[in-house]
Amino acid sequence: MVSGARPSRADYYQVLASALPSQTLVVTALGNASYLWAAMHHTPENFYIEDAMGLALPLALGLAIAQPARRVVVVEGDGALLMHMGALVTVGALKPDNLIVLLIQNGVHAASGGQALTSPTLDLAQLARSAGIVRTGNVATSKDFASALNIAFDTNGLQVLVLSTEPDLEVVRPPVAFDPVLTKHRFMAAIKAPRYIPTMFGGGKLQADGGES
Amino acid sequence: MIKHTQQHKESHRPSEILEALRRLEFGAAVAVPDGWLGEILVRIEQEPTMRLVRATHEEEALAIACGIRLGGVRTVLIVQNAGLLSMGAGMVCLAQRYQFPLLMLVSYRGTAEDPVFYHIPKGRATEPVIQGLGLAYVRADRNKAIGPQIEAAATYADESSSPIAVLLSREDIQW
Repeated sequence: MVSGARPSRADYYQVLASALPSQTLVVTALGNASYLWAAMHHTPENFYIEDAMGLALPLALGLAIAQPARRVVVVEGDGALLMHMGALVTVGALKPDNLIVLLIQNGVHAASGGQALTSPTLDLAQLARSAGIVRTGNVATSKDFASALNIAFDTNGLQVLVLSTEPDLEVVRPPVAFDPVLTKHRFMAAIKAPRYIPTMFGGGKLQADGGES
Repeated sequence: MIKHTQQHKESHRPSEILEALRRLEFGAAVAVPDGWLGEILVRIEQEPTMRLVRATHEEEALAIACGIRLGGVRTVLIVQNAGLLSMGAGMVCLAQRYQFPLLMLVSYRGTAEDPVFYHIPKGRATEPVIQGLGLAYVRADRNKAIGPQIEAAATYADESSSPIAVLLSREDIQW
């Protein structure tokens, strides 16, 4: 599985950061998926997941449903996907046309130190096609990723790109605090999500005034 | 008290739950069904103001619900109590850690009122597991109207920024 020819996660992230349209919402999985992205492209429109392995994809699916006018990119790992493969089926069933799924396939559990995956060479693009996702592809170079990403951002439609990657086991120190509640409030304020207005009589509702949740 | 009970013998509690969700402007429901939940999910699917998402697993459903709420839409999670037992990691690492307000409607299977042999182990474990997770919960009171109980739990979720489970019996939730 390991061959020195594959790009690193940082190589792919550099391409993503360059191609990312403004206003795009980005959800990143645990470990370096979040830490490195924060180091390279921190914005309030990033939602960093710590721990909660396998839940970046379903969370991003929910976000894409709630924010249909915004493009949502999610970075999920191959080990995380195996943990909750059903989420790929749900994504394929709902087909949100504002969701781009980037699957980092490094063949190991990188976030926990590089332990072997149950199946390191599974054809994840084929799995996505089986789940009903038409636009899928395997990517093994930065150049191919740039081409695929530009097409994905230029067109509407659910897309899954599987990025063959060298494992990055050295933990990146993020430049921002990874306080989960701060992450949530910062994100919700950035997208002007409706916020709950408390009422001492109960029955409060969400109101779209652009504040925090 | 007698008058109250008689009044609710005539009411249709699942309809009242749906009406409460509508009145409180829940825009989405994320669910994994069981025998009691099947029909109310169909009714939610038919609601023009609500989006139903059918997930493959309860922990996945929990994460989808968190994502929808992150996007600013009030969201209810509808699962069997088996789902509460299987979503523990996501509950503590995602929903509680990030303080997502989530109303959870849970069919409470395997109690003394639902003595199905394969549900009983789940019924026995449900409340101790909920307590172990530190999850707020309430068991619906069948002698009171269900709509206000749903409203109170929904209000609790948002005012506490946390998930809360409402444990429901058959007459509460089966259409």
